[in-house]
Amino acid sequence: MSVLLELSDLSITRGGRILLSGLGCTIKAGEVVVVLGPNGAGKSSLLLALTGLIPASGGIELQGRPLAAYGRDELSQSIAWQGELPPTEFGLTVRQRLELAAGEAGSEIETSAAAMDVAPLLQRPLGELSSGERQRTELAALMLRDAPIWLLDEPTAHLDLKHQIHCMHMIKEQRAKGRAIVTVLHDLQQAMAIADHLILIDGKSGAEYGEAKQLFTGNRLSHLFDAPVIRQGSVFVPNYGEKR
Amino acid sequence: MRWFALLCAVGICLLLGLAVGEHWINPFAPGDALEQTILWELRFPRLLTAFAVGGLLALAGAWFQVLLGNPLAEPYVLGVAGSASAGAVSGLMFMPESAWLMSVGAFAGAWIGIVAVMFFAHLGPNRMLLAGVVLAAFWSAVLALLLALLPEQGLFRAFSWMMGDLSHSDLPISVLLLAWVVALVCGLILSRSLDKLLLGERHAEALGVDVKRLRKRLLLLASAVTALAVTAAGTIGFVGLVIPHLMRLLFGSLHKAVLPASAIGGGLLLVLADSAARTVIAPAELPVGILTAIIGVPVFLFLLIRRN
Repeated sequence: MSVLLELSDLSITRGGRILLSGLGCTIKAGEVVVVLGPNGAGKSSLLLALTGLIPASGGIELQGRPLAAYGRDELSQSIAWQGELPPTEFGLTVRQRLELAAGEAGSEIETSAAAMDVAPLLQRPLGELSSGERQRTELAALMLRDAPIWLLDEPTAHLDLKHQIHCMHMIKEQRAKGRAIVTVLHDLQQAMAIADHLILIDGKSGAEYGEAKQLFTGNRLSHLFDAPVIRQGSVFVPNYGEKR
Repeated sequence: MRWFALLCAVGICLLLGLAVGEHWINPFAPGDALEQTILWELRFPRLLTAFAVGGLLALAGAWFQVLLGNPLAEPYVLGVAGSASAGAVSGLMFMPESAWLMSVGAFAGAWIGIVAVMFFAHLGPNRMLLAGVVLAAFWSAVLALLLALLPEQGLFRAFSWMMGDLSHSDLPISVLLLAWVVALVCGLILSRSLDKLLLGERHAEALGVDVKRLRKRLLLLASAVTALAVTAAGTIGFVGLVIPHLMRLLFGSLHKAVLPASAIGGGLLLVLADSAARTVIAPAELPVGILTAIIGVPVFLFLLIRRN
């Protein structure tokens, strides 16, 4: 599998605070890397840095070239980013939102809308939708992007159970098609279901990268989140009965 | 159908604007040479000025709203009206009878205001808006000072200009119409990027837009258009705020429709307002800015309620 992204000694500083430092990893086509860590640790910032939206020190190479050598338009051909929900003040409809993402793939709007169950909402303004419906719209917009790398910031946020499962299936399908996916998640079960590799960011400037099966241990997760995590059968879950 | 209705409305309003005034004149059959002169040398150029200025203000309003990510933004939000007014009144102080010097002062004042705002452009939309609001307060203070010092014979002229005055425009109509066309074409060239900016700065960048460069271009374009409109007709409120919203309600949010519709709709509103301003207390005239508010605001509120 070809290497799409290569990070070496990556550090991100925001507002004078070092969020993470010394991160190195390679991300290949057809793999899913899940980013885990507590609130404010720098998970979203990592995705923004990989998209070139915020500065970072160290090396980020995209398909063998430094990220900084890419123009904005060229970068958007290689990387698709799903993040915060877009504002709704200007009355864009779901169809218009998807058209903006689609570019040349305008004919596939119906297909991606159907895949994310937003086809009946196409004519509705984004401002009239629930957060979950808006999130599904963002995922449908993502599906219209032809970029080989997807960076997803909590793709299952706001989604009901059915659509969380939809989203997980979609990620697996895209991995099978050869896309490299880096995604921030908070749900450990979801992370276990799809992760090939993990990036753990502890919020104290530490960052760790490795194979999911090696990094998924109760102790490591408990330490990462500063909260009790226990194994139940084959999955890790928060221990709601115990308080630190 | 909506475009056809909009264009029909423009035709009807232009005809109405030709017909009404101190005296009713049938535009298709003017009675004598005097009526012909009134129609084609007085009313027609003024209607074209109103159309171009209204269109420019609406375009600037649409751009400022996207630029600042704020649907309440309008062409004067960053203080350009205040600095232009201060410039215009400065011109009147030197030569109270000179419309020409007032226009030069307004244009210079508008650009001083724009340059002042440009210093804050790198701070991002929210801080730029805040800087613009503070600068607007500063220009208001300067304007109040200048008005206090202005000789009495210049006061009426100054107030009339500050509420919008199409009767003394010194800019050639060809310049205004050319500016209308150029501004619209520039807007259409940028329209896809503007659409993406509606999704927020990060989404726009992730979709390939160089947001910093776009913001600079947009600020310059919107400011230049505002400076031209202010110089031609004084400060006319509500067109730049109301028309882009109205056009979004009627034609959707994408700029390939919003911009031409605003350029036409803004012109239409100002033609209507100016026709009313010349007629309701004829032979005297009302400042057109009063009428843009009286016509524009209820229409906007009606459509807003109807849409809900």
